[in-house]
Amino acid sequence: MKKLHLLVVAILFVTISCTLDKTDYQSEIDTIVEEFFEFEEVVSFNESGYKISVEALNGTFYKGYNDIRVKITDIENGTTVPASEVTFLPVMTDGLGKTSSGPHLYDLIYNSTENYYTGYAVFTEESTISDNWVLYLSFTVNNQKFSVAKDILINEQLNKNLNMTAFTGNDGQEYLIALIAPQKPKIAENDLVAGIFKYVVPTTEPGNFPDPSQFTYIKVQNYTLLLDPRMPEPSMGNHSSPNNQDLTQQSDGLYYGVVRYTMTGNWTLNFILKSQSGQTVKGTPVSTEFTPGIEGAKSDLFINILF
Amino acid sequence: MRSLTIIVLFCSLFANAQTPSSEKDSTRVLEAVTIKAATKSKIQTDMKMAVSVDEFLASSASISFIKKGAYAWEPLLNNMSTERSTVTIDGMHVFGACTDKMDPITSYVESNNLSTIEIKSGQEGSLHGATVAGSIDLQRKSTPFGLSKSWNGVYQTGFEFNNKQFFNLGNVSYSSEKFVADASISYRRAENYSDGNDDDVNHSQFKKFNTSLGLAYKTSDLSSLRVEAIFDQARDVGYPALPMDLWLSRALITSVSYKQLFEKGLVRVWDTKLYFNAIEHYMDDTTRPENLVHMDMPGWSNTYGFLSKINVKKERFSSDIQLNAYSNLSTAEMRMYPQDRGQRTMFAYSWPSVTTTFAGLSMNNSWDISERSALNFGGSLGVNYNYSKYVEFNWIFHPGAPQEKTRFLPSVHSSYVLNFDKFNFTLGTGYGHRAPSVSEGYGYYIYNSFDRYDYIGNPNLKNEISYEVNASAGYSIKKGSIQANVNYFHIENYIIGRILNLGSPMNYQSVGVKGYTSLDFATLFNFSLNANYAILEKLHWKGVLTYARGQDNEAKNLPFIRPLSYQTSLHYGHQRFNFQTSINGDLEQINYSPEYGEDQTPSYTIWNFSADYSFFIKNNKTTIQVGAENILNEFYSTYADWGNIPRMGRNIFTSLKINF
Repeated sequence: MKKLHLLVVAILFVTISCTLDKTDYQSEIDTIVEEFFEFEEVVSFNESGYKISVEALNGTFYKGYNDIRVKITDIENGTTVPASEVTFLPVMTDGLGKTSSGPHLYDLIYNSTENYYTGYAVFTEESTISDNWVLYLSFTVNNQKFSVAKDILINEQLNKNLNMTAFTGNDGQEYLIALIAPQKPKIAENDLVAGIFKYVVPTTEPGNFPDPSQFTYIKVQNYTLLLDPRMPEPSMGNHSSPNNQDLTQQSDGLYYGVVRYTMTGNWTLNFILKSQSGQTVKGTPVSTEFTPGIEGAKSDLFINILF
Repeated sequence: MRSLTIIVLFCSLFANAQTPSSEKDSTRVLEAVTIKAATKSKIQTDMKMAVSVDEFLASSASISFIKKGAYAWEPLLNNMSTERSTVTIDGMHVFGACTDKMDPITSYVESNNLSTIEIKSGQEGSLHGATVAGSIDLQRKSTPFGLSKSWNGVYQTGFEFNNKQFFNLGNVSYSSEKFVADASISYRRAENYSDGNDDDVNHSQFKKFNTSLGLAYKTSDLSSLRVEAIFDQARDVGYPALPMDLWLSRALITSVSYKQLFEKGLVRVWDTKLYFNAIEHYMDDTTRPENLVHMDMPGWSNTYGFLSKINVKKERFSSDIQLNAYSNLSTAEMRMYPQDRGQRTMFAYSWPSVTTTFAGLSMNNSWDISERSALNFGGSLGVNYNYSKYVEFNWIFHPGAPQEKTRFLPSVHSSYVLNFDKFNFTLGTGYGHRAPSVSEGYGYYIYNSFDRYDYIGNPNLKNEISYEVNASAGYSIKKGSIQANVNYFHIENYIIGRILNLGSPMNYQSVGVKGYTSLDFATLFNFSLNANYAILEKLHWKGVLTYARGQDNEAKNLPFIRPLSYQTSLHYGHQRFNFQTSINGDLEQINYSPEYGEDQTPSYTIWNFSADYSFFIKNNKTTIQVGAENILNEFYSTYADWGNIPRMGRNIFTSLKINF
């Protein structure tokens, strides 16, 4: 009898724990994507006793969309300086000396509760040896205008959920779509936010460099971005998900839609961009056929994401 | 889990520490209150003495099977799948951990740790919880206290030639006035079987190990404490009808129960049990190199439960009142590996950690109106609560579906039994609700290789409501009897998968997505005719005929409804020899359901034969048996064989059983 008991005890101990551990869902989602919440200083300028501090998430400028905060303080006493006409202009010079920019808010908006100036910038390229970005800022204090400039570093965007794509539309115009949210998607319904911008071809000759009129982008108005998310991995047969919503423009000028991701992994967001009159600016429909074994077909307007 | 072990340990040590002393036997009291039920007494069939649990269940007229291979068949009661029946082990709820139902509860026990299987049809089976089809209760062996022979044992071994199945089953029991122990151990190992064309059916092998232990201690003249555990482990189980196999499944099923008998008063028995079981199930597709994608599909199911039952008896009235409560957590994952293994794997839950908590009070009453007639009636009221931890998975297809859902599950039933002379009649009716299963409510891209669709659960499904009538008539004489049973179910909100025009499949083999939806109603009709006759004193005939019909609200056929089937057998006993032969088969499946993935299955007939001889080796009764199933090596598959996989061809079996 005693032996029997020992046997039972042994069996119970052997079997007491699961053979394989369950997946920790939170860390499963965290493995690929790091989410940033804190604005930290990326670059700062000292000018005539004022400190101009430019902040972005994680203290870094990334290729793609970046929210920007600018704080102007008095170096001596550390108080916020009431400035006006704060402008923001990033300019890239490529290896051939050609200058360009990306969509950005030139006239920053004052946030009176937090005492800083907000804007955004979409950096179209990472900084390289040949591609160099310079940030031009100006502001006015006591009717005196100050202008500063500094080289900035644009880093690779490791989070594919904030990818962007630049393209020429069927109308010959230069467009750019940048993903803004979600930073960290879930296997769930996700609110998808994107900025859709168009380059405004200057009508005047360039003035003194940097002339903001040469680097103007606008948010396109009342366009529609049709959405068709797919998993391009061959074994997934170009799997799609249900109940998605196309992106439409909301009051802040950005485009909002809903994307449902059914599992983690690589996804392609296939788009068709339609103008306010319903004309296709770019993009082609993707066959709904289930094609296992074949790399998923894509629209000619798409952004890849991964989570 | 750890603490449970300690409790189990403590109880068993406590039980062992006591010294047996001779006191009054309470088993006789127990016998007096045994409840009337249609139980199958011995775990063996007419044809075979050493059977698997599945083979044994198959011998019941009300059970049919969905088969995905040689192992772990899903029992269908009244032609309804396991979601609609309650399958329990001694009243304990156990839920499989496989989203593809590759592990029905019957696969976690072995024939040598069971004494009987109690099958109740329809709402009569509501004692253990809400049901539509009925209940299957697998009852374990429990040796009575104070047997004159204190040590008993059975050893069975055998070999089946078709799939080279070799099995060894052993049981030992010890009985004294104060203490009882039951232990069993078994191991089965089979290779691929071959079909009627003598072709190997690849991926149909299995290995199963099972052991159980039960210890009981008589705490007083009329009370006892019992601790029981079953451990089952299956490895390398092939499922020829599925695109993947099983690497490992394990179950640990434990309970502590206390039983109190009363010699006087209204209440005669009070039986209370606490239980816990943990199931883990890991599929394996590495044996299938043809698969486009490698996928891990682990599943876990843990259940804590409690049940307490009293038996009340007064004159001609007796009543069972049972309180059931359990909480189950089911989690299943899928992880797909891209062709470039350096890339990110694709992960999702197929059961997003779903908790099911149930509590219910059930009652079965029996009133003997006269010598000839009796009225049985009862009912239950249950509360079923579901919680989906990762409800965002459910929101993909059902935006805004509630994370929690509480349902009330009432049921009532009654039947009238009349006996006169050689005739007996029953007439019964029932009404009951059931809650959707975890897969039906919360499943997420569960691939069904039968109709090749990915299935999506719907948390908003309504309760399935069953209205049932049943009747039976029988005639018996000394030399034989004939009995006809018929039942009819009208099931409102019948849950079934319907093609969704939404989304696209996730599993590369599938052709589309189906969502569980409620049909307005469906109807099911079951009929069986059983007869037996003693042609000569030693020559007995038995026959069974079953017929069923299932239709949806548009009078279209439901899937997995058994066509007209028959079985006829002859048994001849002479001295220590027994010979039996049987023929069974299904007719052509006329009412098949293309809409739910079925094709027409042709008829088949199987002929079986076996002979056994009993003798004594030093007072130990020993039986040897030799037989053959499907003697004519018919190539066939049944209406419920997943993917039309062929059944086993000719199979010669041998077995040896020694009682000591």
